[in-house]
Amino acid sequence: MTGIETFLVEFLKLTFLSMVPFVLAGQGTMLGGRTGVFNVAQEGIMLTGASVGFLVGYTSGSVFVGAIAAMLVGGLFGLILAYFTTTLKMDQFVVGLALFFVGTGLSTLLPKLVLGITLTPPLIPTLKNIPVPLLSKIPVLGPILFNQNVLVYISVLLSILLWYLLFKTNLGLRLRSVGENPKAADSLGISVNRYRYLTTIIGGMLIGLAGAYLPMVYTGTFTELMTKGRGWIVIALTFFGGWSPLIILLGSIFFAGIEVLSYRMQVGGSVVPFQFLNMLPYIGTIIIMIFTFGKSRVPAFLGQNYDRERRTL
Amino acid sequence: MEQTTILQMHEVNKTFDKVKALDNVEFELKSNEILGLLGGNGAGKTTLMNVLYGLYKMDSGSIILNGKPITIPSPKDAIAHGIGMVHQHFLQINNYTVLDNIILGTSVSRPWTADRKKEKAAIEELCKRFGLEIDLDAYIETLPLGVRQKVEILKALYRGVNILILDEPTTNLIPQEVDALFETLKIMVKEGLSIVFITHKLREVLHICDRISVLREGKNVVSLTRKDATDEMLVRAMVGEGMDLQKSVIFSESSKRVVTTKKETVLQLENVSLVNADKINVLSDISFEIGAGEILGVAGVAGNGQRDLAEVVMGIQTATSGTIKFLNEDITHSSTKENISRGFVYIPEDRLADGFLHKASVAYNLILGYHNLPPYSNKGIVNWKNVNAASREMIKKFTIKTTGPDDAGGNLSGGNIQRVMIARAFSQSSKLMVAHNPTRGLDIPSMDFVYKNIFEHAETGMATLLLSEDLDELLLISNRIAVMYRGKIVGILPREKFDKYAIGRMMSGYDQESK
Amino acid sequence: MTQIKKSLPYIIAVVGAFIAAGIFIAAIQYNPFEAYKTLITTSFRTPNGFIQTLMKWVPLTLTALAFTVPLSSGKYNIGAEGQFLAGAIGATTVGILLADLPPALLIPLVIIAGIITGALWGLISAWLLYQFNINEILSTVLLNFISFQLVDYVATGPWRDPSAGAPTTIAIGQNGYLPMLIKNPPLSIGVILMILVAIGIYFYTNKTTSGYELVATGANPRAAKVHGIDTRKMFLLSMVIGAAAAGLAGAMEVSGVQHRLIEGIHSNFATLGLIIGLISRGKNQAVPFVAFFIAVLEVGASAMQRTMMIPSQVVLIVEALIVIFILLSDLIKRRQK
Repeated sequence: MTGIETFLVEFLKLTFLSMVPFVLAGQGTMLGGRTGVFNVAQEGIMLTGASVGFLVGYTSGSVFVGAIAAMLVGGLFGLILAYFTTTLKMDQFVVGLALFFVGTGLSTLLPKLVLGITLTPPLIPTLKNIPVPLLSKIPVLGPILFNQNVLVYISVLLSILLWYLLFKTNLGLRLRSVGENPKAADSLGISVNRYRYLTTIIGGMLIGLAGAYLPMVYTGTFTELMTKGRGWIVIALTFFGGWSPLIILLGSIFFAGIEVLSYRMQVGGSVVPFQFLNMLPYIGTIIIMIFTFGKSRVPAFLGQNYDRERRTL
Repeated sequence: MEQTTILQMHEVNKTFDKVKALDNVEFELKSNEILGLLGGNGAGKTTLMNVLYGLYKMDSGSIILNGKPITIPSPKDAIAHGIGMVHQHFLQINNYTVLDNIILGTSVSRPWTADRKKEKAAIEELCKRFGLEIDLDAYIETLPLGVRQKVEILKALYRGVNILILDEPTTNLIPQEVDALFETLKIMVKEGLSIVFITHKLREVLHICDRISVLREGKNVVSLTRKDATDEMLVRAMVGEGMDLQKSVIFSESSKRVVTTKKETVLQLENVSLVNADKINVLSDISFEIGAGEILGVAGVAGNGQRDLAEVVMGIQTATSGTIKFLNEDITHSSTKENISRGFVYIPEDRLADGFLHKASVAYNLILGYHNLPPYSNKGIVNWKNVNAASREMIKKFTIKTTGPDDAGGNLSGGNIQRVMIARAFSQSSKLMVAHNPTRGLDIPSMDFVYKNIFEHAETGMATLLLSEDLDELLLISNRIAVMYRGKIVGILPREKFDKYAIGRMMSGYDQESK
Repeated sequence: MTQIKKSLPYIIAVVGAFIAAGIFIAAIQYNPFEAYKTLITTSFRTPNGFIQTLMKWVPLTLTALAFTVPLSSGKYNIGAEGQFLAGAIGATTVGILLADLPPALLIPLVIIAGIITGALWGLISAWLLYQFNINEILSTVLLNFISFQLVDYVATGPWRDPSAGAPTTIAIGQNGYLPMLIKNPPLSIGVILMILVAIGIYFYTNKTTSGYELVATGANPRAAKVHGIDTRKMFLLSMVIGAAAAGLAGAMEVSGVQHRLIEGIHSNFATLGLIIGLISRGKNQAVPFVAFFIAVLEVGASAMQRTMMIPSQVVLIVEALIVIFILLSDLIKRRQK
């Protein structure tokens, strides 16, 4: 393999590795959005997921248990979001922002409480790669696609499963109708509340897991505010992905690619000051939004609460 | 046919936000009949049926179906009891197909795949049986309203209902489609269903209903068979004793609009076209004139460009080509603000969404649109003293029930919100009024009040562009009627030539298609 | 009497939040009463404590207004952080480059530079909204992250102060320092400026025609548009005004407190500003009062961490709980009607 080939393989392998938080959190956001719940708390949920995932993983000795804990915490956030918006009918943005604060503060507070103030944070062992037998031996594609950690495989399979569920089954038909026209769905006996709770809680679990991925795979430890805005980028990503699982998967690969590229360019030595390279993912997101915001197909009742007894003339 | 009572509702009470919508209402439905539920807006007819359909919970009362008392906590239960409802605003998923809309919420033979062949066949059977022709694979958003109504009916039939409630089903139909609907209803009754027909239109009820039950202000007034009913009886039942029928615009023959067309042309449109963001011609080559004191009605099925026409005249949208002149001044590119200062008044169609500020005070609402003009504002500073004084006057003159100018808009009841908007529209001395479905949602006395105000202002020279989907309204007060179809004016009829069926043909593009 | 009756739900909300947080504090093995005593009284025990509170009050009020003014038109400005930093960068740049100008010129220039750069930073999001209909929550947050990188670049670039540990610039010219009201403990005239700005904004939204249009736009943008109001212009204007306020806060932090650009100078002002805005329920006139209360809590929080070893994040939880309880009390009021 030539130098360029090696570079490309390494680059793509890293991209697939890095797409996971975007995919998981993106699908989590998409699920809630499909029933009309617009979650804007991702950044806070991911941070708490990272914090809890790390702390539980460290104290229990098992990364797996840590991941489960992160999912439970994420699900709890989802439950709170669902309760305040669906049952209490409070403004979705405001509740989401409040949860973002709580999540951010909590994620910083918990390590201080559990570990105390320490200068050298402890480490957990990071996830190992699991090569797929036979397939991982294919030249070029093998190492990129089939020699990754388990969550990479899960992300891809999850996206395909969600696509099938949403668009090829009766369950998906009902679920989507809740976000397209909750009054119509309600009149046909579909429980708007139940679907909203379900998708928001499961969505929260996925977002929590996305956060835990960062210590589990990247650094082995938790650092304050380590998500660096990925949670917000996920929101743009879901719009860009038309709230569709497969396009979100593609979009995640794209965003991960920008992230890896800017990192690569810094390490590789570049004329551009590294701060501006760091800006690339965010600027890239803005540019994508310029091209997709008008045209994206959004669930018609996204962000709006539903009250059966509200009278409209 | 031997008729038994299949459904009864006893002593139903329902209060919304301190307003008693249903007051000890009684209701009875017999087998194989079409029962007309008649009353003006706000009478409680839709509320009562929403209770029956499980969308609202009654505060007290009982429902007896086939002799057994039942409760209906949600629409799912109503359907399980064989009760279906076709609402005024269709409850459909726009980007789903007809097939998906019909089967949504039902159990299908193969839920974990996309195979719906069995369901499709069953629905096609129904279509044949009831004489309803529809393309099951079409997307709802591409279908005209008359066809979408058929989808709503199919939804109920597919679920095997015995009782079908139709809420103001003829609102968006041309006369020919109304006849077709009535034929369908007769077939349904023959096949064993009972129909509840909610309407405020006298003539329809006398035409199609076997029995008629009248509600007013949430109370029963009278129930009788079609044989025993007369026009006058039903009118009195609907409006009560309070309204002077002799002086009313709607009911009195003598105060029909006198045609006085003054010479001055107020508004003139020449070849106005509007292309929207999706590159579709929503308005094509529109030309007409309105003289001072004249009411030009615009008829058309909803969605044929009426709203765009109103917005282009008001300056909310700008015409892509053509000219608009006001008193000979070219206003094609004027902004809404400029037009309002010229004396334009706009009554938008969706008044709650486009006409009212729930989160602001009553005073804010009463001056909306005029806030930057004297006496309300001077050199960019608001004169709150003048605003509050004027607000108090309007509250008094238009009997708006509120604690005062500082009351929060959200505190007002629906009826008073309408009064605020009527007050705002008719408190200015205006030269041109653009009114889109101005009486939709109003009770009969309020409708009459609006017509009287329009006539009063017309006498001072105000020209009115009246866009309405209520053909009866247009026939009642317009000097001339222009008919819109797919963004074009397909004909303008003077009052002498008003003919419901001719207009209906034009509204459905009949003349256009046959060319 | 009705004024007290109206404020009752809020008082209950605050007390409720304190009780809830107190339970949490006890749960993590600290004494809630001691904690609260420190939290609330530190500001008033010493002149130093009080002056510190006033100095915190200034940026907190401004960043809160940066949130509430756009909120009046219905838009969520989450970018006060970035706009604050943009203002700080602008102020620092002018303060260093034009350091030789006399104070009568330099001070206004420094402040105005901060206001303008903050406003421009907000204009980016406002324009993205105006032109491309891009959700402002997303664009303002992304711009925050970009601004962090920009600050790092400026603070580690040619103006870097090599003797400082963390990335920091050299000081701006002394002529650019905001005049002090009190020398020791240091209180700049920023306090007066901030009060003037708050009054000005109140006057704008409540007394001017443009302010009417802003409120109407926020109350129902569709109705506003149909009645002649240029709602897109209002969105843009409200965001730029909010951003200018944040920029001013940044400029005053540089010119009146730190006298240089330090990485992290934005502290937690923007986050707290949002919280203050939410507690004030978007009412501009309530902001200065709520901001003062939060300033008291923040000063107390640092003392609490110093003397009792309770992490200062706990106070963030108290503040978040107050927001939640207030929103809940709103709900209860709605149900009662």
